[in-house]
Amino acid sequence: MAKHVPTANGTEMTGATSLVKSLEAAGVEVMFGLPGGAILPAYDPIFDSTIRHILVRHEQGAGHAATGYAQVTGRAGVCIATSGPGATNLVTPLMDAAMDSVPLVAITGQVPSAAIGTDAFQEADIRGITMPFTKHNYLVTDPAEIPGVIAEAFHIATTGRPGPVLVDVAKDALQKMTTYNWPTSIKLAGYNPKTTPDAQAITDAAALIAQSSKPVFYVGGGVIKANASAELRQLVELLGAPVVTTLMARGAFPDSHPLHMGMPGMHGTVAAVTALQKADLLITLGARFDDRVTGKLSTFAPNAKILHADIDPAEIGKNRHADVAVVGDVRETISALIPALKAALAKSQPDLSTWLRQMNSLKATYPLGYDVPDDGSLSPQLVIERIGKISGTDTIFTSGVGQHQMWASQFISYEHPRTWLNSGGAGTMGYGVPAAMGAKVGAPNATVWAIDGDGCFQMTNQELVTCALNNIPIKVAIINNESLGMVRQWQTLFYEGRYSNTSLESKRVPNFPMLAESMGCVGLSCERPEDLDKTIEKAMSINDQPVVVDFRVHRDAMVWPMVAAGTSNDEIMIARATAPDWDSQEL
Amino acid sequence: MTTNRRQHTLEVLVENEPGVLARVAGLFSRRAFNIETLNVGPTEDSSISKMIIGVAVEGHSLEQVIAQLDKLVSVISIKDVTAQAKEVHDTQPDYQN
Ligand SMILES: Cc1ncc(C[n+]2csc(CCOP(=O)(O)OP(=O)(O)O)c2C)c(N)n1
Ligand SMILES: [Mg+2]
Repeated sequence: MAKHVPTANGTEMTGATSLVKSLEAAGVEVMFGLPGGAILPAYDPIFDSTIRHILVRHEQGAGHAATGYAQVTGRAGVCIATSGPGATNLVTPLMDAAMDSVPLVAITGQVPSAAIGTDAFQEADIRGITMPFTKHNYLVTDPAEIPGVIAEAFHIATTGRPGPVLVDVAKDALQKMTTYNWPTSIKLAGYNPKTTPDAQAITDAAALIAQSSKPVFYVGGGVIKANASAELRQLVELLGAPVVTTLMARGAFPDSHPLHMGMPGMHGTVAAVTALQKADLLITLGARFDDRVTGKLSTFAPNAKILHADIDPAEIGKNRHADVAVVGDVRETISALIPALKAALAKSQPDLSTWLRQMNSLKATYPLGYDVPDDGSLSPQLVIERIGKISGTDTIFTSGVGQHQMWASQFISYEHPRTWLNSGGAGTMGYGVPAAMGAKVGAPNATVWAIDGDGCFQMTNQELVTCALNNIPIKVAIINNESLGMVRQWQTLFYEGRYSNTSLESKRVPNFPMLAESMGCVGLSCERPEDLDKTIEKAMSINDQPVVVDFRVHRDAMVWPMVAAGTSNDEIMIARATAPDWDSQEL
Repeated sequence: MTTNRRQHTLEVLVENEPGVLARVAGLFSRRAFNIETLNVGPTEDSSISKMIIGVAVEGHSLEQVIAQLDKLVSVISIKDVTAQAKEVHDTQPDYQN
């Protein structure tokens, strides 16, 4: 790969070359994409660029790969597609990235500016389509604007609350000659994210914490985005209060830490859910009171005051009133909070021992667990647990959406930030394989496992071809329960076991190992518990090719605990029709 | 049943660029905020337009409307210019009062 030499401002070139030079100037090293007519002019200079372009098999794969890359590196992921169907194939990953605050820049070709509005071949108003779930988007028709817009796009995507930005460029703007002019500064009158928290808010926050006798750290994905794990740990240990990490925050605080109560929410632990419900203060850090965490909002954490720290002012009070709000970068916020809290605690140190004893008792009484089937078949939770144990805590895990996702969030121990990548806000089936591809590109020395469902895998597995051809040796565990298992679970619980259209028959068709082999991967399969560890070890030993393992598990396993949609967190079930034994708990 | 709605008038300065009206209108629609009136006009600076938006705040607080509007990169500033926050009632009078 040629070394990037910055292009001098004032150089004459085509808009297409200007686009590629701008991406280089923005520091892009990798992009995922697939060409077509409208974007074709850009693919010519891409041929000579220092940027590694990875040719995907479907633009959705490019989008999720860019997301996986961004989630692992903390830098903006870049994807590129042509107009019309190429651009609309990016819609799902853009929505996904918006929901999970992922810095993404998507470049799309557009029909020539004179043809815009005429229903031209492959014309789609992608700027209009993506307005609801991009942080900002652009339609560029003047090639002189390209460098400025690209600089702005990266600035907006990566600062403040991160998110996706789309840049749609008309074909004639790519073809015309222009003068390259990379901006020296970016001025956006309407965009000034506030990163430094107000001193008064920090003082108020510390005072509120020092008064609380039942505080809980409610930690969200923002803590990972802000690289605030080390600061979080200091703050937590200073106060000595229990911690819960949401689905997007798994790894922000070590699972092995004694103060960690687990994940809250619909499939959270009894200890984590109850901690929120019984707390007198939620110390909310980069979390957004999502309905999957709160359950029925009116009964969520009924006795708790709310301290809400977030970079996005619009999250404050959106779902739950904040008693003290701290707007700013959560790492800056925590760093400022540590000395402020020390000072406040020096004046009055609350006694948290009863609260901690109650929480530890719940944690000990209701650990996560599962039934092992007695017919000798493989249980999906065991498969996932063993992969976690054998592969170790430096592994990066991605998942699809469904039961396997919840089990992967529950039964793998996360010790480090950016080791658990999943589609939390959008719940995008098909995220797992392409996100793993992007993660492996971003962290080539890490072992990357996609824990995927048999349903999800069939949505985006074509990217294994991309992996095989581009030396991206990811590992995929298909948790093959021959069903759209999570939907089937709801049918079991709420539709009298009427399994309408959730049987995939994927132990018959497709033959996953053969499918994997046909795509240039190693295909393995495992059906018996006694073969489990050696199959995982076999997969671990292959590092020059992607590996796909078809774990043929029993189909009736369910995800527990569960707070049914729309019900109160107080109605958490640890198994079907089984509530925790509250009477035996002093709460 | 009646709903008490508060009518507010916001003066919003936006970048004068294609699509800005769609951004603002789309935000109100997808967040289920009630727009009562919307006027767009020029300012002395041709790169900036002024929107006068009448919004009836019901489920959402005015702060939430303003915070969401403020997230739009094309929105430069928002001012609450409500002359007097007046109670707006639905057609049926509220007999409980
Ligand atoms: C694109 C998309 N379509 C539909 C759904 C609804 N959905 C959620 S989980 C699920 C089942 C996923 O099946 P599988 O990948 O086999 O995972 P399992 O639950 O069996 O582990 C479905 C259909 C979704 N989340 N995303
Ligand atoms: Mg399945």
